[in-house]
Amino acid sequence: MKVRPAIIAVGRTRFGEHYEKEPEKLIEEAWLRASAEADIERKSLEACYLSDYFLPITNKFGLEEGFLSELTELHAPMEVTRSFGSALSNACNAIQAGRYSLVLVGGIEKMTDRWDKIRDDLMLLEDPWSFYAGCTPEANHELMLRAYIKKYGITGEKLEKLNVALAQVSVKNHLHATKNQCAQYQRKITVDQVLSARKEAGKPLGLYDYAPISDGAAALILTSEEMAKKYTDKPVYVLGSSSATDYLTYPARDDMTHFVVSRIAMKNALSMAGKSLTDMQVVELYDQSTVMEMVSLEDLGFCEPGKAWESVYKSCQDYKGYYEIGRKKLFVNMNGGLKADGNPLGATGGAQVFEVVKQLKGEAGERQVKNGEELKCGCVLELEGFGTKGYVYVLGRD
Amino acid sequence: MTHTDLFYEKGKLEVCTLINEPTNKFTKLGSYIYGIISFHDGKIRVPGRITDRMATCNEAVDFSTLEGRGVVPRFRRRYSVDKSDVIPTISLAFTFADEYYPHQEYVIAKPKKEYDSPGIVGYGVYTSRFRIKEGNIERSVPFIDEDSITAAVEAGKLALIHSRVNSALVGKIYVGSESNPYAVKPIASKVAQVLKLGEEEDDMQSVDAVDTEFACKAATSVFKDATALVEYSKSNIKYAMVIGSDNSQAAPRDCPGGELDLFVGYGAAAFLFGKNDVIAEVEGWYSCTSDTPDFWRRDGEPHPMHGGRYTGDPAYFKHVRKSAKKLMERLKLQVGDIDYFVAHQPNVQFPVRIAKELGFREEQYTPMLKVAKFGNTYSGASLVGLAAVLDVAKPDDRILVASYGSGAGSDAYSLVTTSQIMDKRKNQKLTVKYQAENPFLEYVDYTTYRRLKIGM
Repeated sequence: MKVRPAIIAVGRTRFGEHYEKEPEKLIEEAWLRASAEADIERKSLEACYLSDYFLPITNKFGLEEGFLSELTELHAPMEVTRSFGSALSNACNAIQAGRYSLVLVGGIEKMTDRWDKIRDDLMLLEDPWSFYAGCTPEANHELMLRAYIKKYGITGEKLEKLNVALAQVSVKNHLHATKNQCAQYQRKITVDQVLSARKEAGKPLGLYDYAPISDGAAALILTSEEMAKKYTDKPVYVLGSSSATDYLTYPARDDMTHFVVSRIAMKNALSMAGKSLTDMQVVELYDQSTVMEMVSLEDLGFCEPGKAWESVYKSCQDYKGYYEIGRKKLFVNMNGGLKADGNPLGATGGAQVFEVVKQLKGEAGERQVKNGEELKCGCVLELEGFGTKGYVYVLGRD
Repeated sequence: MTHTDLFYEKGKLEVCTLINEPTNKFTKLGSYIYGIISFHDGKIRVPGRITDRMATCNEAVDFSTLEGRGVVPRFRRRYSVDKSDVIPTISLAFTFADEYYPHQEYVIAKPKKEYDSPGIVGYGVYTSRFRIKEGNIERSVPFIDEDSITAAVEAGKLALIHSRVNSALVGKIYVGSESNPYAVKPIASKVAQVLKLGEEEDDMQSVDAVDTEFACKAATSVFKDATALVEYSKSNIKYAMVIGSDNSQAAPRDCPGGELDLFVGYGAAAFLFGKNDVIAEVEGWYSCTSDTPDFWRRDGEPHPMHGGRYTGDPAYFKHVRKSAKKLMERLKLQVGDIDYFVAHQPNVQFPVRIAKELGFREEQYTPMLKVAKFGNTYSGASLVGLAAVLDVAKPDDRILVASYGSGAGSDAYSLVTTSQIMDKRKNQKLTVKYQAENPFLEYVDYTTYRRLKIGM
C-alpha cells in the first residue's frame, strides 16, 4: 500500500440496551470520545462515512447522512454503508486516492427497541428463499456446524470435545469482557451454562452460543500518513484491507463449512500489507456464533480446516488468555467478541477496530495483551450477513 | 446448467436443525425441522422446511436420523398472513420420501391408442397424513400449512403422474371447491401455473382455468364439460383436468352448524379427460337441479349452515335417486349391468341407503365407501369414491357415479373401464387404499384438529 491510511483516534459507547438514548446521542458520544482523543474539531472533517444496517427500520431514518449533518453541523460529503468494514473501506480508498485527508468513520445501530421484530429484520441479511423456507437468524450457524461435523467425520468423544470447545469460545469471550467497561455482558459464564442452554433448546447451539442484539456506536478518525503525525505520535496504520463477496444463498455455496470471503479477504489483505499470518498478534473475529469464531480461525489460515476446535479445546483446558495454535500464541477477541462485547451490527466492526487499535497503542488497560514482545500488528475480520461479504483489515504500527 | 423442475424430483436432506423460535410469520407452525436439501447428487442445494411434522414440546431430535434421507417437495402455504393478504405459497417444504408421501417420478409417455369415446385418462387422490378418529369414523385433517389450494395441486400432480400425459397438452382446468380461501381469486390459476398446464409462454400458461362452485358437486358437474371439450375437434384441447378439492368447512361443535364438524374431512381428487389411452370411457350422463336450500354459506360467513333433517329426503335422496334412475333408464341399464355404484358420501348412512334403495348389492357399493376413512371431502367426496373404485376395477367394468351438491343437484355418469386401467395402475403408489391404511398416519385430538383446520 503506497499511501497508508492512519487511524489517529477511536471512540465508542458501551454496547447493550440504550433505550434512554436517541441514536444521535450514541453516535455523538462515540464521535466525541474519538475527537477528544486526537483533539480534532469537527469543522476540519472533510467527509463522513457512516455505517448502519437497520436505522431506516428501527428509527425511521431513511437518509442517515442528513442526520449526521445535523449532528456534526457540517455540509461535507457523507456516505452511508451497511457495515463498519464497508465504511472504513470507502474511507481508506478516499484517503489513498488523495481526495481527502481527514475523515470520520462511524458506525451505529439501535436494535433493542424493536425487540419483538428484530429477528425478522435480521432476515434481510439472508436470501429470501431461505426466509420463505422458514430460516431464522440462527439456523444457518447450526446447519454449518452440522455440515462441519459431517465433513470432518467428527463423532463420539471427538464430537463431545468439539461441543465443549465451542462452549469454551463463549466462556472465553465472556471472561475477556469482564475487563471491558464498554462490553454488554461483563460477567463470567460456565461451560455447563452453555451446554445446558443447548439442551434446553434441543438444538446444536443455544442461547450462550450467539451474540446478542445490541445498541451502540463506534467511531474513528482516518487521515493520511502525512497528516497523522500532526495529531498523534502513535498512529495505527491500515496496512492491508480487502473484502470479498459470496452467494447470498448459503445452501447454494460450494463450501457449507467455511466462509470463502474470509479466506480471500485475508489472503489479499496480508499480501497488501506485506505481512504473514505469523505477524498477527491480536485478532478480532466476527463471532456472531461460537461456530463462526471456530471456522474463522480456519478461514483466516490460523488453523487447519477441521482442526480449530482441537486448538481451542487444548488452549481452554487451562486458559491463559490466548489460543495456543502450534507454538504460537494468538490473542483472539480481547474485547469479549461479539458474544460478550455486544453486536450492534453497524457499529460492531468499529468496536473490533477500536480493540486492535487500543491494543497496538498499549492503551487497552486491564485487558492489554502481555505477550512478552511489543505489539506491532493485528487484524480484524468483519462479515456482512452469513458470510456473504467479508472485510479484513490488517492494522499495524511502525 | 440445464433447466430442472425440482417440483417432481427427489431430494436429500443434507443437514438440518430444529427451529423452535421461528421468525414472526412462522410462529403458527410451532417447531419445525429446517435444513438444506440437495438434488442431483449435491449439484443443486436449496433451503427447505420439513413439513407434516407435529411439534412436540422439548422434542429431543437426533438430527443424524433425519440427515441423508430422501425428501419430496411439497406444495404448501409459505407462512401466515393477515386475512386480507394474498396467501403466499412455496414448494420449499418437504416431507420424507420413506414416510406417507413417496417420491414418484413424473414420466411422460407417448400415447399408445386413441379411443372413439373420450374418458378418464388418469386420476389422483390426495389427503394429508393427519387424522382425527372419533368412534368408528376417521377423518383426514389438513396440516397447518395446507388448504384446498394445496390439495388441488397435489391431486393434479398425482393425476399427471398416473396418466403420464404431458402437462403442456392440458388445455383446460376446472377446480370445484367450496372452501377456496379466497372469495375472489381462482384456485385453478394457481394449479395451472404450478403444474405447468398448457404450453408455457411469456410467464403464462396456454390453458383456460376456471373455478366452479356447486357445493359438493362442483367438480362432477363439469366432467361432462371436460368430456365434450376433448371430443370437440375444433377446441384444439387434447386433455382437460377436473379437480374437486375441499378443506371441508364446519363451525365448531358448540356453534350453529356445528353438527357438520363430526363429518368434515380434507382432500382432493383430480381426473384427467382425453381420448388417448383412456382407462374409463364416459358412456353417458344425466344431471338434475332444483332450488333447494339444504346447505348454504352466506358471503363473508366463515362456516356453512345446514338444514338438519331437511338435508336427507327432500335434498340428497331426491336428487341422487333421480339422476341415477334417469341415467340407467336412458342407457337402458339394469342394476345387474353395473359393477360398481358410487354416490356422494356426506356420512356413512346416506350412500348406503340410496345404494340399497336403487337395488345395488353390497359388493357393488362397498368399494366406494371411504367417508369413514377420510370424512366428507365435499367437492372431492364422490370423486374419492370413484377413484377408490378405479383403483380396484377390472377392464370392461361399468361404474355408475351419482354425485350430490346442496342447493341442489346431482350428476350421474356411466363409465366403462378399458384394458389400460391395468397398465396405468402401476404408475400410482398413492392409491386411495394406501392413504387410508398408511402406517404413517398421525392421529390428533379435537383441539389440534380445529387448529390445523383453521390453518396458518
